Amino acid sequence: MRILLQAGLVGLGMLAAATAARAQSDVIEGPLIRPAVSSSDPRDLSGVWFIRLYNRQINSTLGRLPPFTEKGKAEWDKRVKAEKDGSPIADASAYCWPHGVPRVMNSPYPIQIIQTDGETTIVHEVAHNIRHIYMDQSHPQSITPSFMGDSVGHWEGDTLVIDTIGLNDLTWIDEVGVIHGKQLHVIEHIRKIEDGHALENIIRIEDPEFFKEPWYARITYAWRPDLRLSEYVCEENNRNMPVNGHTVAQ
Amino acid sequence: MPSFSLRVCARLAGALLLSCAAAPSLAQPIYHPPAGQNFEGVWLIEGDHSVVKTVQGKLPPLSRAAAATYAAHVKARKAGKPDFDTIQTCKPHGFPRILFAAYPIEVLQEPKQVTFIHEVHHMPRIVYLDLSLPKLEDIDPKWMGESAGHWEGDTLVVDSLGFNDLTTLDTAGLPHSTDMRVHERIRKLDPDTLEDLITVNDPKTYAAAWSTRVTYKRQPGRRLKEYVCTYSNPEAHAAGK
Repeated sequence: MRILLQAGLVGLGMLAAATAARAQSDVIEGPLIRPAVSSSDPRDLSGVWFIRLYNRQINSTLGRLPPFTEKGKAEWDKRVKAEKDGSPIADASAYCWPHGVPRVMNSPYPIQIIQTDGETTIVHEVAHNIRHIYMDQSHPQSITPSFMGDSVGHWEGDTLVIDTIGLNDLTWIDEVGVIHGKQLHVIEHIRKIEDGHALENIIRIEDPEFFKEPWYARITYAWRPDLRLSEYVCEENNRNMPVNGHTVAQ
Repeated sequence: MPSFSLRVCARLAGALLLSCAAAPSLAQPIYHPPAGQNFEGVWLIEGDHSVVKTVQGKLPPLSRAAAATYAAHVKARKAGKPDFDTIQTCKPHGFPRILFAAYPIEVLQEPKQVTFIHEVHHMPRIVYLDLSLPKLEDIDPKWMGESAGHWEGDTLVVDSLGFNDLTTLDTAGLPHSTDMRVHERIRKLDPDTLEDLITVNDPKTYAAAWSTRVTYKRQPGRRLKEYVCTYSNPEAHAAGK
């Protein structure tokens, strides 16, 4: 019965694989027999993904710092100096608040994409962040700023385009010192690359208060069918609870 | 009809020990559960379940030691100092207490997974349909435990274990141990009503397994809001670190 069940599961997982030969060679042996590439349907992003080449500093696609305004540069300098001086300024994650967008997309923890009727949901292992992306809808007329903002998505060919506004100004864009204000507007272009082994996210970041012009970052994620999200509860035993706005190792 | 072809293919594959690899790719990746098994959407609990009772309307069969703990919890709550209650310091409700919370729950369904997103503390609960539960001794205890489920007709049957013992089962303060196992039978009573029949089996705390029942009403058009306890109650969070 167990064998039959597993065969059925393999079948489900491979339903959309291009050819039988291809699918067989990509099977990972083990308790969870799953194809090592995600389905061949370019619009099927469902499953667990894990960031590649994680960097706590988000550089632009030009490989340099974002095009800061004077204010953006001053805030960056302040944070870099505070960290260098051993008293880093606390960001949202240190308070166990949601990480915000796009910061949550740049985290060294697995994410799981779930596609249902009318919604794409991203469940993040880190700090149980959840992204609700409502498909083929407009943003509401009036939005109360929140940590994760208001996200709507649509398909352009085989690229999922996510538009996010309504973000509060309590989160950062990276872990080093790129911050933003309430005018932040994030547009993500997510698509499968490398024959389904990876996802690419080109993130357009616009906030005239902190950046002279919109800029782009690129993050890729590996298909990780071998991973299941674990429980990450920041609220339990937060040893880095900020004191007077600074993170203090305890 | 992706769900139809998926299931037929899976059934054939299971019977013939073949894979479905040669099947054509799906144009539409969205899984649509069969009508009876479709729990997708946002739901809200009916009634007040802050003091959980059995389906017979009685206090669960607490062992003598557990009864004393429960009495102490009730007394502490009455005195305005419910220090036993982890949600006071923004920690998770834990399972199954989160099922009794008066906040909406969104259900997302996939062929191999049912995901419950609780608005309160933006807490996810993943029920795997393609895994058996690990052994209790192999699990690092969690607030939400580990859950595996399967369909029996149109009833989703879920077994969960691997809990820490920092939480209570309700607001009143029903205790439990790390040995607790929870069995659920979730089904629709009608298109807009979801029922969860919950059985708690914890011989270290209760003289016998006992069951309670909750129902949820569909909330058409409702979206989960952002609930961030650590932001709205920073002092509480700092106090409980």
